[in-house]
Amino acid sequence: MIDSQPMIELRRLHRFFGKTRAVDDVSFTVYRGQVFGFIGPNGAGKTTSMRILASLDLPTMGDAFVDGFSVVNDPDRVRRRLGFMPDYFGTYPNVNVREYLDFFARAYQLRLRDRIDAIDRVMDFTGLDVLADKPTDGLSKGMKQRLCLGRSMIHDPAVLVLDEPAAGLDPRARIEVRQMIRDLADNGKTILISSHILTELAEICDVVGIIERGQLLAMGTVEEIRQHGQTPQNEVNVRLVGDAAPLGRWLCDKPDVSELQVNGEGIRFLHAGNLDAEADLLREMIDAGFRVVAFGSQQQTLEDVFMQVTEGLVQ
Amino acid sequence: MSAQAETVTIEPKATSSPIGVWWRVVDRAMDTAGDYLNPILVKETRQALKSRQFTITFALLLFCGWLWSIIGVALMPSIWYGSQGMEMFFGYYIILAFPLLVIVPYGAFRSLAGEREDRTYELMSITALGPRQIIRGKLGSAFLQMLVYLSAISPCLAFTYMLRGIDFPTILFILGYTVLASLSLSVVGLLIGTLTTEKHWQVVLSVLMVAALLLSLYMAIGMTSMMLFWQEIPFDDVEFWIVCAAWLTGHLSYFMLVYYAAAAQITFAADNRSTRLRVVMLVQHILFVGWMAWTWIWMANGEEEVLLVFMILLGIHWWVMGALMTGESPDLSPRAKRKLPQSFLGRIFFTWFNPGPGTGYLFAISSLIGGLIVAMAGLASVEAFGAFNSRWNSNYASTIIAFGILGLSYITIYLGLGLLVVRLFRRFTYVGVLLTALTHILLLMIGCGIPAIIHMMSSDLRHLDYSLLQIPSPLWTLPYIADRSGLPPEAPLLLAVVPLAALIVFALNLPGVAAEVRHVRLAKPRRVADEDAELSAELAPPAPVRTSPWD
Repeated sequence: MIDSQPMIELRRLHRFFGKTRAVDDVSFTVYRGQVFGFIGPNGAGKTTSMRILASLDLPTMGDAFVDGFSVVNDPDRVRRRLGFMPDYFGTYPNVNVREYLDFFARAYQLRLRDRIDAIDRVMDFTGLDVLADKPTDGLSKGMKQRLCLGRSMIHDPAVLVLDEPAAGLDPRARIEVRQMIRDLADNGKTILISSHILTELAEICDVVGIIERGQLLAMGTVEEIRQHGQTPQNEVNVRLVGDAAPLGRWLCDKPDVSELQVNGEGIRFLHAGNLDAEADLLREMIDAGFRVVAFGSQQQTLEDVFMQVTEGLVQ
Repeated sequence: MSAQAETVTIEPKATSSPIGVWWRVVDRAMDTAGDYLNPILVKETRQALKSRQFTITFALLLFCGWLWSIIGVALMPSIWYGSQGMEMFFGYYIILAFPLLVIVPYGAFRSLAGEREDRTYELMSITALGPRQIIRGKLGSAFLQMLVYLSAISPCLAFTYMLRGIDFPTILFILGYTVLASLSLSVVGLLIGTLTTEKHWQVVLSVLMVAALLLSLYMAIGMTSMMLFWQEIPFDDVEFWIVCAAWLTGHLSYFMLVYYAAAAQITFAADNRSTRLRVVMLVQHILFVGWMAWTWIWMANGEEEVLLVFMILLGIHWWVMGALMTGESPDLSPRAKRKLPQSFLGRIFFTWFNPGPGTGYLFAISSLIGGLIVAMAGLASVEAFGAFNSRWNSNYASTIIAFGILGLSYITIYLGLGLLVVRLFRRFTYVGVLLTALTHILLLMIGCGIPAIIHMMSSDLRHLDYSLLQIPSPLWTLPYIADRSGLPPEAPLLLAVVPLAALIVFALNLPGVAAEVRHVRLAKPRRVADEDAELSAELAPPAPVRTSPWD
């Protein structure tokens, strides 16, 4: 469903709060149907960027566009196309689920049949239909997240901006929310999502951007991010008969091996190279007389790359 | 039971009866009409009907009404044979005034302030609801609550009418102005609710709001008791209705001003927040000038005091408005620039409605000049065609002219100086409307306070009515001029120095004004123009189909 029309575009976006550079020259483009994952530590500038995109804040410099419309100069047109799910719930007291969705449907100027259809569609999609008459402030956290997702898509926007949609949810609810986001992407929605749970982002995102201290440090597909500026490194675990220490000494001389850890009969290290190089290394080990019983290689996860790329600095 | 029997469907009886059919039609019509109601009104009504605050207030209102009925009847034995409706009405009025003048406006204030605190306002603001729709929705909800409270107490009010001693127009008049006051207090509450999102300021504003509302309640009860027990309302007097109309005009114009100000406060920062407010200010100005002219000619019979009052009110009004307008940002967003006047005449007449501190300064000064020209025209007509009354003498004319020129000059000086100071501050930091208003107040206090202190402390000056040290002080100089029928000996010097200073300050501000006047209209971006074209093509009626060979 991904096509070449940019639906979200950040152009040299800056946002300063006094001397703090919350967003510092961030630019990227998300095309129609793409899921873009925004990763970064707390205070990195993810929420600020998303708030600007949702026309809740103004950039100090630069601009952001949704379907070609500037969030600064045409916020009304942007709002028609964008659904925003912030990192807070925003529920009202003394309002049940249906009334809550009804209010937002009316606020988006959906009339009569369209409004009723939109509420039914959203409640069906989020599984809230069984809780239609339940007060919103009595919902569980997972249900509130579903309700907020439903609210953000009540007017069927082409772009969804989701700030930490799975934060604080139990594993089952996280899986369900992840499935919903995947379904939305399959239906052609363009999604910008931030999360701390990187394994989940790796599974649902087409493109990932890593942001720290307001600056975009890396961007690309999960595979491209893994190869970020260096030869791909795989974690290799080897088990052999007898003590692993001699193998450790032997591996120390290899230039493409790093972060060596010897543990009794096992050894773990990072190997920079492709599968052919790993096969050559295994053959060399055996030729050198090491009695290898297991040789397993594992690609770096997004978490590993994240830890490498970011420095854990906060502003 | 057989399977056949289980599948039998039962048609609702109502659908076949004419009442049922009509009911369905009415229901559908109500549904359609409800769709066009303000969404906030719908949501808040649903919330209010389930809220504890509403239930308690409503129950208390009914209980107090019921209690007063028993106590009133018990304490007033004459109720059986006399006309005690007025006393009973006053009791019910106090019971009703509390929710109307305290609970409802405070609820409106908390409703918006609470949404901003809980950040539900943010979610609402990114929907298709405009800022004015949001304010209207909140106001509508407040009005609906008023109606519910009124309906709850209406049997009691009907009871007072039946007791005699109070007539129907009096009841209507008192309820009318109370509802108007409640609406006005609600819109002020909404404006205050937009002022800050800081928790500590919200607490301060809440306390001030409650104090102001209790004061309003006290004043309303006092005024009602005066109308009921001391001074009968002169319904058959034409002048009474004219004063009411004038008061209503002023009231509604300020209501609109506060309404637009509240909406401007929550308008997106890149939008034009100022032009609508300036239009309201101009309409208000025209209405005020019209009413004052009418009052002067038809009611005051050409009394010079009326002209002075007119000029004082006009001066205070435009100083306050100028102090607020000069707090606007000098930068115009591309969005605001898209709607700037483009033609030569448009730029001449409508540039002063564009947002900006310089245009705001000029707008205030030129409006004030316009008002003074009308006053001077009135004065000239008196001079040319003779006085309305025998008390008139030409010395009043010179006093009024001097007062007008000096008043205008002082406002030009103080607003201009404030604007220059704010422009200086803006080089280092962000200066908003509130800080600008405070700067203007501070400047006026310095200009009036320092000479007054020196005057009081100097043994040589203390015994004098006026000294030239007071030249910077409008609060001392203007009353000194107005207090006499002829011009004082210092008048020539004052009329030379103060207007000259005003011209200098005005000239110093001109470069800033010129920078704002140079803004020109920006074309719509291509994407926006394309969408507008698509939308207008969708809305345009289809091309007529030729049905006749003669077409």
